[in-house]
Amino acid sequence: MSVVARLWQALRNTVRTLWSTVSGRYAVTVIAVWVVVSLISLVWTPYSLWQMDGYNVWAMPSAAHWMGTDGTGADVASWLMAGSRTDLVIVLLTVALSAVIGMCLVALMTLGSTWSSNATVVAVDALISIPTVLLALVLAVPFGASIAVVVVACGIGYGLNLARVVRPQALLVANSGYVESALSNGASRWRVFAQHIVPNILPVASVQLSLSAGTAILAESGLTYLGIGVPSGIPSWGRSLSLSVRLASVHPLTALWPGLVVALVVLALNLCGDVLRERSGVHHAGVASRQAASEGGENDR
Amino acid sequence: MSQEHGAYGQSDATQGDQQEQLNKQEQSRATARTGSGEGAASNAQSAVSGSTDAKLNARRKDNKPNRKPWLWIAIAAIVVIAVVVSIVVFRQRTSGSNAQQADTVTVGLTLAPTNLDIRNQSGSALDQVLIGNVYEGLVSRDSENKVVPSIASSWDISSDGLTYTFHLNSGMTFSNGDELDATDVAWSINELIDKQYHDYNLLQNVSSVEATDSKTVTITLDAPYANLLWALAGRPGLVFDADASYDAKTQAIGSGPYVVDSFEANTSITLKANSRYWGEHKAKTPTVVVRYITDANAGLNALTSGDLQVLAPVSENLADGLRKQSDKYTVTTGEDTDKFVLAMNQAQGRATTDIRIRQAMRYAIDHNELIASRGGADAPLGGPIPSLDPGYEDLTDLYPYDVDKAKQLMEEAGYTTDNPLKLTLTYPNIYSTELGDQLKSAFKEIGIDLQVNIVEFSTWLQDVYTNHDYDLSLVDHNESHDFSQWTDPTYYYGYDNSEVQDLYKQAMAATNEKDTNTYLAQAARIVSEDAAADWLFNYRITTATAAGVEGFPVNLNQTLMPLYDVTYTRQ
Repeated sequence: MSVVARLWQALRNTVRTLWSTVSGRYAVTVIAVWVVVSLISLVWTPYSLWQMDGYNVWAMPSAAHWMGTDGTGADVASWLMAGSRTDLVIVLLTVALSAVIGMCLVALMTLGSTWSSNATVVAVDALISIPTVLLALVLAVPFGASIAVVVVACGIGYGLNLARVVRPQALLVANSGYVESALSNGASRWRVFAQHIVPNILPVASVQLSLSAGTAILAESGLTYLGIGVPSGIPSWGRSLSLSVRLASVHPLTALWPGLVVALVVLALNLCGDVLRERSGVHHAGVASRQAASEGGENDR
Repeated sequence: MSQEHGAYGQSDATQGDQQEQLNKQEQSRATARTGSGEGAASNAQSAVSGSTDAKLNARRKDNKPNRKPWLWIAIAAIVVIAVVVSIVVFRQRTSGSNAQQADTVTVGLTLAPTNLDIRNQSGSALDQVLIGNVYEGLVSRDSENKVVPSIASSWDISSDGLTYTFHLNSGMTFSNGDELDATDVAWSINELIDKQYHDYNLLQNVSSVEATDSKTVTITLDAPYANLLWALAGRPGLVFDADASYDAKTQAIGSGPYVVDSFEANTSITLKANSRYWGEHKAKTPTVVVRYITDANAGLNALTSGDLQVLAPVSENLADGLRKQSDKYTVTTGEDTDKFVLAMNQAQGRATTDIRIRQAMRYAIDHNELIASRGGADAPLGGPIPSLDPGYEDLTDLYPYDVDKAKQLMEEAGYTTDNPLKLTLTYPNIYSTELGDQLKSAFKEIGIDLQVNIVEFSTWLQDVYTNHDYDLSLVDHNESHDFSQWTDPTYYYGYDNSEVQDLYKQAMAATNEKDTNTYLAQAARIVSEDAAADWLFNYRITTATAAGVEGFPVNLNQTLMPLYDVTYTRQ
């Protein structure tokens, strides 16, 4: 089976799992609409983004402008549509980066010597105390506002979180009998990690990653508002939100739309994580490992 | 962040203005928002602990049995009753003083001074609150930016323009009781020049300042200098008590209608009527509290909740809500000298040295639309001199909005929409992001691909102002009488036209106002014809006052805010 086919299978299984609950259905629907709108916005938006009418700013929703216009007289709906693709890219990149960082850290924690794994745990615990916003602010000094700042800051922050969350599960597997036997049969540590540990921590990791995806959108909005996120001229939900929020007391509707979009999508991603956790707890990890995981979590604290 | 005192004349976009401009922006800054991102991070954290810790979660649920609901209901009822009673009592007490002139007026401003040392500390926040209220100058400015008598009741200028004789009022005292006479005036100006206090460089060509007798001060010049009187209306003309010693950072002893009662850096200043005031601008309200509120929405809330009686400035977009309640608030718009300058770098090697490209940009901007989108309060401005400054004439018809002409000029220069010219616009983040987007939109049509780079003010100062490393820049030059920047080729515009430089010299050397204005107007027209920059608009200040407030200055109130006339009658 090729990699693509395997991924497709995994995706189908996940969607099927999600579809079995009401909140899962909501999550799948919202995410699907999000992806479709992002694709459509590449070829079509109701108005060109740069079509601005200074005589028609902060307009109420109408047949011509479904969600009204913003402070430049541009169409809010068009900017939100175009913004969805930026946020999709940011979420995908953030999730990928945090997965890579998280997995590398878990590998260090479970495979290395006692000394190096302890050092990694201490380092992760120390680094996790740095807020994502602070990290982004520091990164923005040399690099300026850019999508990369959002992705790197969030990727590091969520990667550390991921490592912490999956560590107990990974340790449980690493100390299991079959891993010991695999090692004594001459399997390399990396092989053991890839073949035994990764598949076993995937359920927990995927839950964590889908939560990170939601948080990444919130972070994009927050950082863009602060002027260190998505740079000027690139559509994003955070941009739409920050432009309208200043005048929320005068034109509440324009702040409502981007706020609503962000809220709905973040809710979908969080529910997605919840459903996956519930399901994975029953189907994959089993009661014993959950118990162990929670104890591990307690010991960490 | 510190600005050299010596750079005033050519550095009107620096520290002082940074704050000044901040002040004038409709954008609210982001302090409150830091929380949202951190909230996001902590969300993730709590989600983490929630997801792994089934045991803890279960325990947590058991922990809170609802034992004594009646107790909580009783407490809540008591709290509600207490609040209601106190509100009723408070209401009655305040309504007791109905329709009387209030003893205190609270004014909300945006830009706060860090200390009160007006001789050393830059920033127009100090000019705004102290000049005309606490300190008085030899002369002062009226709301039309014209020089009027103050400590000097009149003055004579010799026909060669070299000798200025000021005749002082009599019976003047400082707030500490000391007498104010010609020696204090001469001492103050000589100190300024000797110790190079802030704005000393506005006094040019001065050879001597002398107290001829106790009521006469004579200023002698080497060469005529048309801006002298105007300069003396600002900080260089302020009169201090030669005999007093006090901490100028926290206290102020002047001769104005108010004294500083208390000062909290960056927060508030309380002014009390000066019981020893000598002149005719006697304070009508015993106490004026000036509060500094940086966030535009917070300022608006303070006004609507009654904490403030005056808010200046209010962003035009926020003012709309106040206009609808005309029985409760009065919203007025005053003139100012702020010029939003779209600078086009004319240093060698830049595409913007080509006059056709600069002209195309000026034709491509629909200034009226831009102003309309900002709420319509600002005035179109076709050249470097605003209506309150000498030499003003309406130049808006030089480059009317004409996209076809702009396209044609760009084509001549070798650019079309398919083969656009790439330019970067760098501007400080204290101005709205909409401006950059609107310019990008306007230039897109004529074959300019504008990259907008919004930066910290300090970055702008470094890259654009100091290193001249930019294509286009946008900044609010708010100073009055600042035409000299167009005559200095080393200024960040890089504009170098000897005809303009000669005309400015002639204007400054002219011995009568009319000639000065004529030369300045000629020079300004050339600058505009050369498309040395584009002037997006002349920013005008919108001030909101609660009904019952009278006498608050409308024009220029971000630099000149005499408060003696302010009264508030509760409605």
